[in-house]
Amino acid sequence: MAAPLAAPVGDAARRAARRARRLRGWLVQGVLALAVLALALVVARNVGANLEARGIKSGFGFLADPAGFNIGELLIDYTARDSYLRAFAAGMANTLRVSLAGIVLATVLGVAVGLLRLARHPLVSGLCGAWVEVFRNIPLLIQLLAIYLLVTELLPDSSGALSIPGVALLSKEGLQVAVPENGRLAIAVALAAFALAAALGWAAARRWLDSGAGLLAAVAGAIVAALAWIAVGVASGWSKPVLDGFLISGGAALTPEFLALWLGLSLFTSASIAELVRAGALAVPIGQWHAAQALGMNGRQVVGGVVFPQALRLAIPPLASQYMNLIKNSSLAVVIGYPDLVSIANTSINQNGQALEAIVVIMAVYLTLNLVVAVVMGVVNARVTRAPR
Amino acid sequence: MKIPYVVPAALALAAAASPAWAGKTLDAVKSRGQVVCGVNTSGPGFSNADSQGKWTGLDVDFCKAVAAAVLNDANKVKFVPLNSQQRFTSLQAGEVDVLSRNSTWTLTRDASLGIVFTGINYYDGQGFMVPKKLSIASAKKMNGATVCVQAGTTSEKNVADYFGANNMKYKPVVFDTAEAITSAFFSGRCQVYTTDMSDLAGARTKAPKADDYVILPEVISKEPLGPSVRRGDDEWFEIVRWTLFAMLEAEEDGLTQGNVDSQKASSKDPNVQRFLGVSEDTGKLLGLDKEWAYRIVKQVGNYGESFERNLGPKSPVGLPRGVNNLWTKGGLMYAPPIR
Repeated sequence: MAAPLAAPVGDAARRAARRARRLRGWLVQGVLALAVLALALVVARNVGANLEARGIKSGFGFLADPAGFNIGELLIDYTARDSYLRAFAAGMANTLRVSLAGIVLATVLGVAVGLLRLARHPLVSGLCGAWVEVFRNIPLLIQLLAIYLLVTELLPDSSGALSIPGVALLSKEGLQVAVPENGRLAIAVALAAFALAAALGWAAARRWLDSGAGLLAAVAGAIVAALAWIAVGVASGWSKPVLDGFLISGGAALTPEFLALWLGLSLFTSASIAELVRAGALAVPIGQWHAAQALGMNGRQVVGGVVFPQALRLAIPPLASQYMNLIKNSSLAVVIGYPDLVSIANTSINQNGQALEAIVVIMAVYLTLNLVVAVVMGVVNARVTRAPR
Repeated sequence: MKIPYVVPAALALAAAASPAWAGKTLDAVKSRGQVVCGVNTSGPGFSNADSQGKWTGLDVDFCKAVAAAVLNDANKVKFVPLNSQQRFTSLQAGEVDVLSRNSTWTLTRDASLGIVFTGINYYDGQGFMVPKKLSIASAKKMNGATVCVQAGTTSEKNVADYFGANNMKYKPVVFDTAEAITSAFFSGRCQVYTTDMSDLAGARTKAPKADDYVILPEVISKEPLGPSVRRGDDEWFEIVRWTLFAMLEAEEDGLTQGNVDSQKASSKDPNVQRFLGVSEDTGKLLGLDKEWAYRIVKQVGNYGESFERNLGPKSPVGLPRGVNNLWTKGGLMYAPPIR
């Protein structure tokens, strides 16, 4: 008895069903996308109309107006006569500065604490466990306030500053250190020296070492960079911190606000990173440890050549989100008076009342910074996972 | 499926916030039975909550006076503490009916924030407080100082102008709240705390030892502080504006919380009779009843009483009356005639 041919059967039926499913998928997604777009348009139009009806000024024109307020610490040149745009840029530079410094310190501390927590010695692993629990479980806001209070209460007034004459001053004003007279040149020279020394060191070290060449090259690069920096200082003369009345002139400063925020962010994030490192290391099958030992590797080789590379593979994606958290958490700066992007935006909102615009700027900056982190960590992750097992 | 309900609801919400406020605030206040008043989170003398959550201060008294005039009961006020960044946005968004939060009246704020100032209830100016042990006699001797200042205030700009004009350098440390500033300043992080003179006097009362700090004589700016309301509701604007004038007029007429009843019964002064609603009904022009001003004096007191109670020499803040005296006594406080 012949089957009726009205409906396709077999492969043809499956193909037809798949086509229908795809079409339906596109339709649903298209309609949803349109609805979201329409909603966004309606909201934007409404906000605009309401702002206008209530006589509230809007638009980004204010960014070109002079800001009129000063900022306590600066990486880029800025005075009260500069524009709001430049003030925002100065705030962003401060956010970047504390975020980058925080990411570096948190990573170093986190990796060290995470690996030491695996140590057999109960005191070492216990202390590292305590580190993780303390810094992970106390809200960052409280940690920041506590560190800031400690810093400002403990340090002496600037009139009684602790000092190494001509080199450093430590007081409630922060840590002031001597720097080369030509600061920018010194930094450029130091960076160039680092790149050169690290590249040469790496090329040389990888011939002799089977693991750890990168670390060694980085350390060598850092030492050479520091020497180069000092050399520029010796050649061009030093700008030394000098106290004259209230005014501390010369040198470079780390303010108590920066120190407190930097420490707070680093300690808080290091606890999470330590846990990531520990989890990554423990996830490497025990057979890998045994196999490496059976091949006659010593402890450093086992961890550096076998376990750590595999642990990294697991740890990098969550590490990226820790970095992003650190950047976002830096906005807590506002409670301890560090002039980050949010703090500058708050001031700007109050000078000109344009809250909506300033918040859009804040969101755009944090989004961009975190997308950059995502891209960079994506590249790192791709390299790590591509490495042969 | 939920989407068909959610989308129109969201659209309706986005479309709902209507820009027309005219006449609505008074109706809303009456039907709610409460005036919602934005005040300072912590401003001794202006608005400060004690350990029982009871609010006191010059700005608080003003909110109470509005409630007495509109709702017949000075206690029908809900106080919403706002920090300096929230204050105008809260008022714009309709979360508060009146903003009575020692805010400086400036052109930018008046013309571009969607709010209007209704008057001035305290003439202030920005000053400096320093620890006594630094023995600074003049603000001109502060070159290089670290200055604590509150985010989102006119102070931030004034201090930049002042140091710039006098060719001095300073390092600002900007905090979010008055509490954070005072704790940083009293711990010694800054050599100078700058804000409105009245705030400095208030902060000094919170110092571990008030005598360790001095307020310098220099006043570097004009800071006329006053209440504000949303734009577009002229009826409400008039009520709030004339509430302040009523408090001033009462002081000028010698009416106090204590004598207002006897004056109402016996005074032959046509001004007083009109003011207290004995001879004329001034209230109906404002959409209120004829005893609106009587209730303000009876329940809250006149401006001078409120000042003495909260800021005056006998209060913890201890400020002299100065320019905030009546025009008849050499000050700047002046109310147009109530007739």
